[in-house]
Amino acid sequence: MEPTSLVARVLAGEQDAERELYDTHVDRVYRLIYRMVGDGDLAADYTQDTFIRTFDRLAGFRGESALSTWITSIAISVVYNGQRKVKRLRAREVDLEYAEPVAVPQREADPDLKGKLAAAIEELPAGYRTVFLMHDVEGFTHLEIGSALGIQEGTSKAQLSRARAKLRQQLAQYAGDKAS
Amino acid sequence: MMDDREDRLDNLIRDAARDYHAPPATPRAEMWEAIQASRAAARTEVRPLVVRPARSPLRLVFGIAALLALGIAIGRLSVPARGTGPAALPEQTVAAVPEAAAAEQRVRSEVATRVATDDHLTQVETFLTEFGTRPTAPDFTAQAQDLLTDTRLLLDSKRVVDPKTRKLLEDLELVLAQIATLDPREKNRDRDLIADGLAQSHLRTRLRNAIPAGSAIRL
Repeated sequence: MEPTSLVARVLAGEQDAERELYDTHVDRVYRLIYRMVGDGDLAADYTQDTFIRTFDRLAGFRGESALSTWITSIAISVVYNGQRKVKRLRAREVDLEYAEPVAVPQREADPDLKGKLAAAIEELPAGYRTVFLMHDVEGFTHLEIGSALGIQEGTSKAQLSRARAKLRQQLAQYAGDKAS
Repeated sequence: MMDDREDRLDNLIRDAARDYHAPPATPRAEMWEAIQASRAAARTEVRPLVVRPARSPLRLVFGIAALLALGIAIGRLSVPARGTGPAALPEQTVAAVPEAAAAEQRVRSEVATRVATDDHLTQVETFLTEFGTRPTAPDFTAQAQDLLTDTRLLLDSKRVVDPKTRKLLEDLELVLAQIATLDPREKNRDRDLIADGLAQSHLRTRLRNAIPAGSAIRL
Protein backbone atom coordinates (compact mmCIF):
# COMPACT_ATOMS: atom_id res chain seq x y z
CA MET A 1 0.00 0.00 0.00
CA GLU A 2 1.36 3.42 -0.96
CA PRO A 3 1.84 5.67 2.09
CA THR A 4 -0.22 8.45 0.48
CA SER A 5 -3.28 6.24 -0.02
CA LEU A 6 -2.89 4.90 3.51
CA VAL A 7 -2.86 8.48 4.76
CA ALA A 8 -5.94 9.25 2.68
CA ARG A 9 -7.75 6.26 4.19
CA VAL A 10 -6.83 7.35 7.72
CA LEU A 11 -8.05 10.87 6.98
CA ALA A 12 -11.27 9.38 5.65
CA GLY A 13 -11.81 7.90 9.10
CA GLU A 14 -11.07 4.24 8.38
CA GLN A 15 -10.21 2.54 11.67
CA ASP A 16 -8.38 -0.31 9.92
CA ALA A 17 -6.15 2.19 8.17
CA GLU A 18 -5.22 3.83 11.48
CA ARG A 19 -4.19 0.47 12.86
CA GLU A 20 -2.29 -0.33 9.67
CA LEU A 21 -0.37 2.91 9.87
CA TYR A 22 0.42 2.24 13.51
CA ASP A 23 1.54 -1.34 12.85
CA THR A 24 3.74 -0.23 9.96
CA HIS A 25 5.70 2.32 11.95
CA VAL A 26 5.45 1.46 15.62
CA ASP A 27 8.46 -0.85 15.87
CA ARG A 28 10.87 1.63 14.37
CA VAL A 29 9.50 4.46 16.51
CA TYR A 30 9.53 2.44 19.72
CA ARG A 31 13.05 1.11 19.10
CA LEU A 32 14.47 4.56 18.48
CA ILE A 33 12.72 6.06 21.48
CA TYR A 34 13.83 3.22 23.72
CA ARG A 35 17.42 3.69 22.54
CA MET A 36 17.17 7.36 23.40
CA VAL A 37 15.62 7.04 26.87
CA GLY A 38 16.49 3.52 28.02
CA ASP A 39 13.32 3.11 30.03
CA GLY A 40 10.37 0.92 29.07
CA ASP A 41 7.60 3.01 30.63
CA LEU A 42 8.91 6.28 29.25
CA ALA A 43 9.46 4.72 25.83
CA ALA A 44 5.86 3.46 25.78
CA ASP A 45 4.53 6.88 26.89
CA TYR A 46 6.53 8.74 24.27
CA THR A 47 5.57 6.26 21.55
CA GLN A 48 1.88 6.64 22.39
CA ASP A 49 2.25 10.40 22.41
CA THR A 50 4.00 10.25 19.04
CA PHE A 51 1.12 8.37 17.41
CA ILE A 52 -1.54 10.53 19.04
CA ARG A 53 0.22 13.58 17.57
CA THR A 54 0.64 11.79 14.26
CA PHE A 55 -3.07 11.09 13.90
CA ASP A 56 -4.00 14.58 15.09
CA ARG A 57 -1.71 16.25 12.59
CA LEU A 58 -1.96 13.86 9.68
CA ALA A 59 -4.06 16.33 7.70
CA GLY A 60 -1.02 18.60 7.69
CA PHE A 61 1.26 15.93 6.19
CA ARG A 62 2.20 17.19 2.72
CA GLY A 63 4.25 14.24 1.56
CA GLU A 64 7.35 16.42 1.23
CA SER A 65 9.26 13.77 3.16
CA ALA A 66 8.58 10.08 3.67
CA LEU A 67 5.79 9.35 6.13
CA SER A 68 8.24 7.37 8.29
CA THR A 69 10.60 10.37 8.44
CA TRP A 70 7.73 12.68 9.31
CA ILE A 71 6.66 10.38 12.15
CA THR A 72 10.27 10.09 13.32
CA SER A 73 10.53 13.87 13.52
CA ILE A 74 7.43 13.93 15.73
CA ALA A 75 8.92 11.16 17.88
CA ILE A 76 12.17 13.06 18.39
CA SER A 77 10.30 16.23 19.24
CA VAL A 78 8.19 14.32 21.78
CA VAL A 79 11.30 12.75 23.34
CA TYR A 80 13.24 16.01 23.55
CA ASN A 81 10.34 17.88 25.10
CA GLY A 82 9.51 15.02 27.44
CA GLN A 83 13.11 14.58 28.53
CA ARG A 84 13.46 18.26 29.32
CA LYS A 85 10.44 17.98 31.58
CA VAL A 86 11.65 14.77 33.22
CA LYS A 87 15.09 16.27 33.70
CA ARG A 88 13.59 19.26 35.49
CA LEU A 89 11.58 16.98 37.75
CA ARG A 90 14.60 14.79 38.48
CA ALA A 91 16.74 17.83 39.19
CA ARG A 92 14.25 18.88 41.83
CA GLU A 93 14.07 15.44 43.37
CA VAL A 94 17.74 14.56 43.35
CA ASP A 95 20.71 16.80 43.79
CA LEU A 96 22.41 15.62 40.61
CA GLU A 97 23.30 18.64 38.59
CA TYR A 98 24.39 16.76 35.48
CA ALA A 99 21.81 13.99 35.45
CA GLU A 100 20.92 14.57 31.79
CA PRO A 101 19.82 11.06 30.85
CA VAL A 102 16.66 9.78 32.45
CA ALA A 103 17.61 6.19 33.14
CA VAL A 104 21.28 6.20 33.92
CA PRO A 105 22.56 3.05 35.53
CA GLN A 106 25.74 3.27 37.56
CA ARG A 107 28.23 2.81 34.76
CA GLU A 108 31.45 4.09 36.30
CA ALA A 109 32.16 0.87 38.13
CA ASP A 110 31.59 -1.24 35.03
CA PRO A 111 35.00 -2.24 33.71
CA ASP A 112 34.09 -3.73 30.36
CA LEU A 113 33.83 -2.03 27.00
CA LYS A 114 30.04 -1.99 26.88
CA GLY A 115 29.82 -0.35 30.28
CA LYS A 116 32.37 2.29 29.39
CA LEU A 117 30.76 2.81 26.00
CA ALA A 118 27.36 3.32 27.61
CA ALA A 119 28.83 5.92 29.95
CA ALA A 120 30.58 7.61 27.02
CA ILE A 121 27.34 7.70 24.98
CA GLU A 122 25.51 9.26 27.91
CA GLU A 123 28.13 11.99 28.06
CA LEU A 124 27.71 12.95 24.41
CA PRO A 125 25.85 16.19 23.71
CA ALA A 126 22.18 15.42 22.96
CA GLY A 127 22.48 16.17 19.23
CA TYR A 128 25.56 13.97 18.76
CA ARG A 129 23.98 11.16 20.77
CA THR A 130 20.79 11.25 18.72
CA VAL A 131 22.64 11.16 15.41
CA PHE A 132 24.96 8.39 16.62
CA LEU A 133 22.06 6.24 17.85
CA MET A 134 20.00 6.84 14.74
CA HIS A 135 22.81 6.14 12.28
CA ASP A 136 25.20 3.67 13.85
CA VAL A 137 22.73 1.77 16.01
CA GLU A 138 19.31 1.99 14.35
CA GLY A 139 20.50 2.26 10.75
CA PHE A 140 18.87 5.54 9.65
CA THR A 141 20.48 7.23 6.65
CA HIS A 142 21.88 10.74 6.89
CA LEU A 143 19.09 11.92 4.60
CA GLU A 144 16.46 10.51 6.97
CA ILE A 145 18.24 11.94 10.00
CA GLY A 146 18.53 15.34 8.36
CA SER A 147 14.82 15.41 7.51
CA ALA A 148 13.76 14.16 10.92
CA LEU A 149 15.95 16.57 12.88
CA GLY A 150 15.49 19.50 10.52
CA ILE A 151 19.21 19.74 9.77
CA GLN A 152 21.29 19.43 6.60
CA GLU A 153 22.53 16.00 5.57
CA GLY A 154 26.09 17.33 5.87
CA THR A 155 25.43 18.49 9.42
CA SER A 156 24.25 15.00 10.31
CA LYS A 157 27.49 13.56 8.90
CA ALA A 158 29.58 16.10 10.77
CA GLN A 159 27.78 15.39 14.06
CA LEU A 160 28.25 11.65 13.60
CA SER A 161 31.93 12.16 12.91
CA ARG A 162 32.32 14.26 16.06
CA ALA A 163 30.33 11.76 18.10
CA ARG A 164 32.57 8.91 16.93
CA ALA A 165 35.69 10.96 17.66
CA LYS A 166 34.51 11.64 21.20
CA LEU A 167 33.71 7.97 21.73
CA ARG A 168 37.10 6.92 20.35
CA GLN A 169 38.74 9.37 22.69
CA GLN A 170 36.87 7.94 25.66
CA LEU A 171 37.60 4.36 24.66
CA ALA A 172 41.15 4.80 23.38
CA GLN A 173 42.41 2.14 25.76
CA TYR A 174 40.54 -0.48 23.75
CA ALA A 175 42.20 0.51 20.48
CA GLY A 176 45.40 -1.31 21.30
CA ASP A 177 44.14 -4.61 22.63
CA LYS A 178 40.57 -5.52 21.71
CA ALA A 179 40.46 -3.64 18.44
CA SER A 180 43.54 -5.33 17.09
CA MET B 1 47.89 2.99 10.02
CA MET B 2 46.12 5.45 12.26
CA ASP B 3 43.02 5.25 10.03
CA ASP B 4 42.99 1.46 10.29
CA ARG B 5 43.13 1.70 14.05
CA GLU B 6 40.31 4.25 14.07
CA ASP B 7 38.21 2.11 11.74
CA ARG B 8 38.70 -0.95 13.90
CA LEU B 9 37.78 0.99 17.00
CA ASP B 10 34.73 2.46 15.24
CA ASN B 11 33.60 -1.05 14.30
CA LEU B 12 34.17 -2.24 17.83
CA ILE B 13 32.16 0.68 19.18
CA ARG B 14 29.34 0.10 16.69
CA ASP B 15 29.11 -3.57 17.62
CA ALA B 16 29.12 -2.83 21.33
CA ALA B 17 26.61 0.00 20.90
CA ARG B 18 23.96 -2.47 19.72
CA ASP B 19 23.60 -3.49 23.35
CA TYR B 20 23.18 0.10 24.51
CA HIS B 21 19.58 0.49 25.70
CA ALA B 22 18.71 -2.63 23.70
CA PRO B 23 14.95 -2.39 23.16
CA PRO B 24 12.68 -5.24 24.28
CA ALA B 25 9.80 -6.47 22.10
CA THR B 26 7.44 -3.62 21.22
CA PRO B 27 4.36 -3.69 23.46
CA ARG B 28 2.11 -3.04 20.45
CA ALA B 29 -1.27 -4.03 21.84
CA GLU B 30 -0.92 -2.20 25.14
CA MET B 31 0.22 1.00 23.47
CA TRP B 32 -2.53 0.82 20.83
CA GLU B 33 -5.18 0.50 23.53
CA ALA B 34 -3.73 3.48 25.38
CA ILE B 35 -3.64 5.53 22.16
CA GLN B 36 -7.26 4.72 21.37
CA ALA B 37 -8.37 5.55 24.91
CA SER B 38 -6.48 8.83 24.93
CA ARG B 39 -7.88 9.92 21.56
CA ALA B 40 -11.42 9.02 22.59
CA ALA B 41 -11.02 11.07 25.77
CA ALA B 42 -9.58 14.01 23.83
CA ARG B 43 -12.51 13.97 21.39
CA THR B 44 -14.94 14.15 24.30
CA GLU B 45 -13.04 17.03 25.89
CA VAL B 46 -12.65 19.04 22.70
CA ARG B 47 -16.25 18.78 21.49
CA PRO B 48 -17.74 21.66 23.57
CA LEU B 49 -15.02 24.03 22.43
CA VAL B 50 -15.46 23.07 18.80
CA VAL B 51 -19.24 23.52 18.77
CA ARG B 52 -19.30 26.69 20.90
CA PRO B 53 -23.11 27.00 20.84
CA ALA B 54 -23.21 30.11 23.01
CA ARG B 55 -21.15 32.37 20.78
CA SER B 56 -21.30 31.12 17.24
CA PRO B 57 -24.81 32.27 16.13
CA LEU B 58 -24.23 35.83 17.28
CA ARG B 59 -20.82 36.00 15.68
CA LEU B 60 -22.26 34.50 12.50
CA VAL B 61 -24.89 37.25 12.28
CA PHE B 62 -22.32 39.99 12.93
CA GLY B 63 -19.96 38.40 10.45
CA ILE B 64 -22.51 38.25 7.66
CA ALA B 65 -23.64 41.80 8.43
CA ALA B 66 -20.04 42.99 8.32
CA LEU B 67 -19.42 41.23 5.02
CA LEU B 68 -22.57 42.76 3.49
CA ALA B 69 -21.76 46.25 4.76
CA LEU B 70 -18.25 45.96 3.42
CA GLY B 71 -19.53 44.78 0.05
CA ILE B 72 -22.00 47.66 -0.26
CA ALA B 73 -19.37 50.21 0.75
CA ILE B 74 -16.87 48.89 -1.77
CA GLY B 75 -19.56 48.80 -4.46
CA ARG B 76 -20.51 52.42 -3.85
CA LEU B 77 -16.93 53.55 -3.91
CA SER B 78 -15.92 51.57 -6.97
CA VAL B 79 -18.98 52.02 -9.28
CA PRO B 80 -19.44 55.52 -10.87
CA ALA B 81 -22.53 57.34 -9.54
CA ARG B 82 -25.49 57.57 -11.97
CA GLY B 83 -27.03 60.97 -12.32
CA THR B 84 -30.16 59.59 -13.95
CA GLY B 85 -32.58 56.81 -13.08
CA PRO B 86 -33.46 53.82 -15.26
CA ALA B 87 -36.09 55.88 -17.12
CA ALA B 88 -33.35 58.00 -18.61
CA LEU B 89 -31.52 55.02 -20.05
CA PRO B 90 -31.79 54.35 -23.77
CA GLU B 91 -34.63 51.95 -24.53
CA GLN B 92 -32.46 49.05 -25.71
CA THR B 93 -30.50 48.97 -22.43
CA VAL B 94 -33.52 48.71 -20.12
CA ALA B 95 -33.87 44.96 -20.56
CA ALA B 96 -30.19 44.47 -19.66
CA VAL B 97 -30.48 46.31 -16.32
CA PRO B 98 -31.52 43.29 -14.12
CA GLU B 99 -28.62 41.20 -15.45
CA ALA B 100 -26.21 44.07 -15.06
CA ALA B 101 -27.39 44.67 -11.49
CA ALA B 102 -27.04 41.00 -10.63
CA ALA B 103 -23.54 40.91 -12.11
CA GLU B 104 -22.63 44.03 -10.20
CA GLN B 105 -23.92 42.46 -6.98
CA ARG B 106 -21.84 39.35 -7.65
CA VAL B 107 -18.72 41.43 -8.16
CA ARG B 108 -19.41 43.32 -4.94
CA SER B 109 -19.82 40.08 -3.03
CA GLU B 110 -16.63 38.64 -4.48
CA VAL B 111 -14.67 41.77 -3.66
CA ALA B 112 -16.10 41.90 -0.14
CA THR B 113 -15.27 38.27 0.45
CA ARG B 114 -11.77 38.69 -0.91
CA VAL B 115 -11.10 41.73 1.25
CA ALA B 116 -12.47 39.99 4.35
CA THR B 117 -10.45 36.85 3.58
CA ASP B 118 -7.22 38.77 3.00
CA ASP B 119 -7.73 40.71 6.19
CA HIS B 120 -8.39 37.52 8.13
CA LEU B 121 -5.36 35.74 6.67
CA THR B 122 -3.20 38.73 7.59
CA GLN B 123 -4.40 38.54 11.18
CA VAL B 124 -3.78 34.79 11.36
CA GLU B 125 -0.32 35.19 9.83
CA THR B 126 0.60 37.78 12.45
CA PHE B 127 -0.81 35.59 15.20
CA LEU B 128 1.03 32.44 14.08
CA THR B 129 4.30 34.33 13.68
CA GLU B 130 3.98 35.58 17.23
CA PHE B 131 2.97 32.14 18.43
CA GLY B 132 5.97 30.51 16.77
CA THR B 133 8.60 33.02 17.85
CA ARG B 134 7.70 34.21 21.34
CA PRO B 135 9.98 32.48 23.86
CA THR B 136 7.39 32.64 26.62
CA ALA B 137 3.81 31.55 26.14
CA PRO B 138 1.21 34.20 26.87
CA ASP B 139 -2.44 33.20 26.75
CA PHE B 140 -2.79 32.45 23.08
CA THR B 141 -5.92 30.35 23.47
CA ALA B 142 -8.50 33.16 23.58
CA GLN B 143 -7.03 34.82 20.49
CA ALA B 144 -6.90 31.46 18.72
CA GLN B 145 -10.56 30.84 19.55
CA ASP B 146 -11.59 34.16 18.02
CA LEU B 147 -9.57 33.54 14.88
CA LEU B 148 -10.91 29.99 14.73
CA THR B 149 -14.47 31.30 14.79
CA ASP B 150 -13.74 33.75 12.00
CA THR B 151 -12.05 31.00 9.99
CA ARG B 152 -15.13 28.82 10.31
CA LEU B 153 -17.32 31.77 9.42
CA LEU B 154 -15.47 32.20 6.16
CA LEU B 155 -15.58 28.47 5.44
CA ASP B 156 -19.30 28.38 6.22
CA SER B 157 -20.10 31.43 4.08
CA LYS B 158 -19.60 29.36 0.85
CA ARG B 159 -18.39 32.52 -0.84
CA VAL B 160 -14.81 31.46 -0.62
CA VAL B 161 -14.82 29.26 -3.72
CA ASP B 162 -11.12 29.16 -4.61
CA PRO B 163 -10.08 25.59 -3.68
CA LYS B 164 -6.56 26.68 -2.71
CA THR B 165 -7.89 29.29 -0.29
CA ARG B 166 -10.45 26.86 1.12
CA LYS B 167 -7.71 24.27 1.71
CA LEU B 168 -5.59 26.90 3.43
CA LEU B 169 -8.51 27.90 5.65
CA GLU B 170 -9.16 24.25 6.52
CA ASP B 171 -5.52 23.76 7.50
CA LEU B 172 -5.62 26.93 9.55
CA GLU B 173 -8.79 25.72 11.23
CA LEU B 174 -6.92 22.60 12.37
CA VAL B 175 -3.93 24.51 13.76
CA LEU B 176 -6.07 27.16 15.43
CA ALA B 177 -8.23 24.44 16.99
CA GLN B 178 -5.08 22.84 18.41
CA ILE B 179 -3.91 26.14 19.89
CA ALA B 180 -7.39 27.01 21.16
CA THR B 181 -7.58 23.73 23.05
CA LEU B 182 -4.08 23.75 24.55
CA ASP B 183 -4.04 21.98 27.87
CA PRO B 184 -2.88 24.57 30.46
CA ARG B 185 -0.89 21.88 32.28
CA GLU B 186 1.00 20.88 29.13
CA LYS B 187 0.90 24.25 27.43
CA ASN B 188 4.62 24.76 26.79
CA ARG B 189 5.18 21.21 25.60
CA ASP B 190 2.14 21.19 23.29
CA ARG B 191 3.05 24.66 22.10
CA ASP B 192 6.47 23.37 21.00
CA LEU B 193 4.86 20.49 19.16
CA ILE B 194 2.40 22.77 17.36
CA ALA B 195 5.23 25.16 16.48
CA ASP B 196 7.19 22.19 15.07
CA GLY B 197 4.15 21.14 13.07
CA LEU B 198 3.77 24.66 11.74
CA ALA B 199 7.37 24.69 10.58
CA GLN B 200 7.01 21.33 8.86
CA SER B 201 3.77 22.13 7.08
CA HIS B 202 5.12 25.47 5.76
CA LEU B 203 1.76 26.94 6.71
CA ARG B 204 3.15 30.40 7.36
CA THR B 205 4.84 30.43 3.95
CA ARG B 206 1.57 29.42 2.30
CA LEU B 207 -0.20 32.13 4.26
CA ARG B 208 2.26 34.79 3.18
CA ASN B 209 1.94 33.66 -0.43
CA ALA B 210 -1.85 33.86 -0.21
CA ILE B 211 -1.88 37.41 1.14
CA PRO B 212 -1.53 40.09 -1.55
CA ALA B 213 1.14 42.71 -0.90
CA GLY B 214 -0.26 45.64 1.07
CA SER B 215 -3.13 43.75 2.69
CA ALA B 216 -1.88 44.52 6.16
CA ILE B 217 -2.55 48.23 5.72
CA ARG B 218 -5.60 48.06 3.53
CA LEU B 219 -8.23 48.31 6.26
